[in-house]
Amino acid sequence: MTLLKTRGRSPLQAAGSGELEKATEKRNRRTYLALLIPGLLGLLVSFVFPLAYMVRMSFNKGAPDGVIEETFTFDTYLQPLTDPYYWKVTLDTFQMGVTVGLLCVLVSYPVALFLARSQSKYRGLLLAIAIAPLLTSAVVRTYGWMVILGTNGLINSSLTGMGLIDTPLKLTNNITGVTIGLVEIFMPYAILAMISGFGRLSPQLEEAAGSLGASKAKIFARVTLPLSLPGILTAFLLVFVLSISTFITPRLLGGGSVQVLATEIYDQTTGLLNWPFAAALSVILLVLFGLIIAVYQRLTRKIGG
Amino acid sequence: MSETKLSIVDLTKRYAAGLDPAVDRLNMQVEEGHLVALLGPSGCGKTTTLRMVAGLMDPTAGSIVVDGKEITHTPVNKRGMGMVFQSYALFPHMNVEQNVAFGLQMRQTPKAEQKKRVAAALDMVQLGHLGKRQTRELSGGQQQRIALARALVVEPTLLLLDEPLSNLDAKLRETMRTEIRSIQQRTRATTLFVTHDQDEALDMADRIAVMNGGLIEQFGSPTDVYERPQTHFVANFIGQANFLDVTIISETGPAPVAGEASYKVDVEGLGGFGAVGAKGLTGAHELVIRPHRLKVTLTGEGHDALKGTIERVSYTGDALSVAIAVGERSFNAQLLTTSGDLPRRGDTAYLSWAPEDAYLLPAAAPGKAS
Ligand SMILES: Nc1ncnc2c1ncn2[C@@H]1O[C@H](COP(=O)(O)OP(=O)(O)OP(=O)(O)O)[C@@H](O)[C@H]1O
Ligand SMILES: [Mg+2]
Repeated sequence: MTLLKTRGRSPLQAAGSGELEKATEKRNRRTYLALLIPGLLGLLVSFVFPLAYMVRMSFNKGAPDGVIEETFTFDTYLQPLTDPYYWKVTLDTFQMGVTVGLLCVLVSYPVALFLARSQSKYRGLLLAIAIAPLLTSAVVRTYGWMVILGTNGLINSSLTGMGLIDTPLKLTNNITGVTIGLVEIFMPYAILAMISGFGRLSPQLEEAAGSLGASKAKIFARVTLPLSLPGILTAFLLVFVLSISTFITPRLLGGGSVQVLATEIYDQTTGLLNWPFAAALSVILLVLFGLIIAVYQRLTRKIGG
Repeated sequence: MSETKLSIVDLTKRYAAGLDPAVDRLNMQVEEGHLVALLGPSGCGKTTTLRMVAGLMDPTAGSIVVDGKEITHTPVNKRGMGMVFQSYALFPHMNVEQNVAFGLQMRQTPKAEQKKRVAAALDMVQLGHLGKRQTRELSGGQQQRIALARALVVEPTLLLLDEPLSNLDAKLRETMRTEIRSIQQRTRATTLFVTHDQDEALDMADRIAVMNGGLIEQFGSPTDVYERPQTHFVANFIGQANFLDVTIISETGPAPVAGEASYKVDVEGLGGFGAVGAKGLTGAHELVIRPHRLKVTLTGEGHDALKGTIERVSYTGDALSVAIAVGERSFNAQLLTTSGDLPRRGDTAYLSWAPEDAYLLPAAAPGKAS
């Protein structure tokens, strides 16, 4: 993108003869294409081939014992699109993505805002701490949450110990646990995405608003929040996408009782060995949420100005 | 006499314990309707002072009084001042009109009146036709004007400008200089204007506060600070100056300027020369003479002239700058060019000056007392 942008016509170029300019442009374009080849090859092998294979697979016929019959049928799509169960799973997935996205943005925003505005010499350190959880895998952190949220976990044993509750709260093996786990796991991503989207925020604008008579609350509502909106929207989208495609946390913290598209696909692939059906579900996931993202981005572009 | 609008008393700011104060017991009185330039070298505390007046920064000590009311600890949004930032700080998510209307919205001015005043403010800066533009679609000079309109539309108690012209190119800077000054005079807004450009200060200000190291060295009208510098720093910072260590021989009577006296001074044994200064000076002092007030002749007419050799000549068309060596000393003089022969390097030249063009700094020259 930037490469192309900086390639605006210089006055010299514009003044030069059209023929020469065209030739140069052609050569430039060829150079750029040549530079793209390694990257494109990598993408082809690691992304396009598997995806094409998956799409092809979704039109095959699967049998329960893992046998795949090479044909061309829409049957695999018929089931998920007609069975209310899959509609519910899709809806649940969407709902979980939105909830996790919203909550994650809500808890990450103050942290990101603080980090972006901080003048402290410890800012670098604080930022490092904020994203340090990325150093451990999501699996490990999910197990951590199982320990904390479990029936005899940290929270429940403290609450019963203090006599605040009699029966332990049910925080695992349901959507509550999955949501808590996902929100924490995606916080570092949300924070990073927000900070990178806070470019137009500046202390001077807040000072200017203050000098014009705006109270702290007004400054936040009229200047800080609107200017950090691009960061918030990006972070939300990122967390949404990550949550609807993750399966480890829903699987482990949901304990089998939380069914989302990702866990369903996993079950079909490794449990029932019905690859064509799993492939069809994947394609549906891809198309559905691809559409959502496209719409969302169009909206954010409007808001972001 | 006009009334005092702003008075600053012993204002001090220390950024951290152990550091030298950035502003050190600063005192200043600003009259209603005046434009006061805070002028000084980088790091002398201009911005710090302005930010304390604006309420963007808490002073360590001292007080700020506006219209007879102490506002030292009033929060920024309750001060009703208008500030223009060096980088303009226009809100990027609002268009021009929304930017200008912001202060009125915060004051809950009725919608209809808002509209009228925004339009009037935009007309004042001659940008009435750009109300619907996004701020990023404006040139630097236009952004500057919008920032000015935004600050003025609320009829601020004080208008504060922090180097508002430093991001503009030289040509535009001059235009904006005149424009800001004329708008300021029309609105009669009492204004503090931070700059490190002496031409800007001399051209625009009613009063100049020459700052150095967190202190005001001199506060006075442009002619005051130029013609009657009170310290070596002021004489050196504003315009160019030749300094001479002299010893006062005698006070010879009143000077053309009321309250001053004429003196006969000895320039390191080179003879007796005329000078003016505050009454009652004795002993060793520093003499200030502006380069264009030095008379240079190639023939030794007049008896009290210093004889020297021309060391360097620089020709700029209108004027000729010459450096003349007299003994171990070097003088800078500025001459208007004539169509005749111009002095050249190596020529012998005679330097003299009218007594009223040589001003004695009031402070005794350090370490030279006799
Ligand atoms: N936030 C800060 N923390 C510590 N010291 C500071 C801070 N801001 C300014 N200073 C110091 O205070 C002194 C005065 O700074 P100030 O910004 O007021 O200077 P200025 O006159 O506006 O200079 P310039 O013309 O360069 O803008 C300087 O020595 C500066 O280093
Ligand atoms: Mg400054």
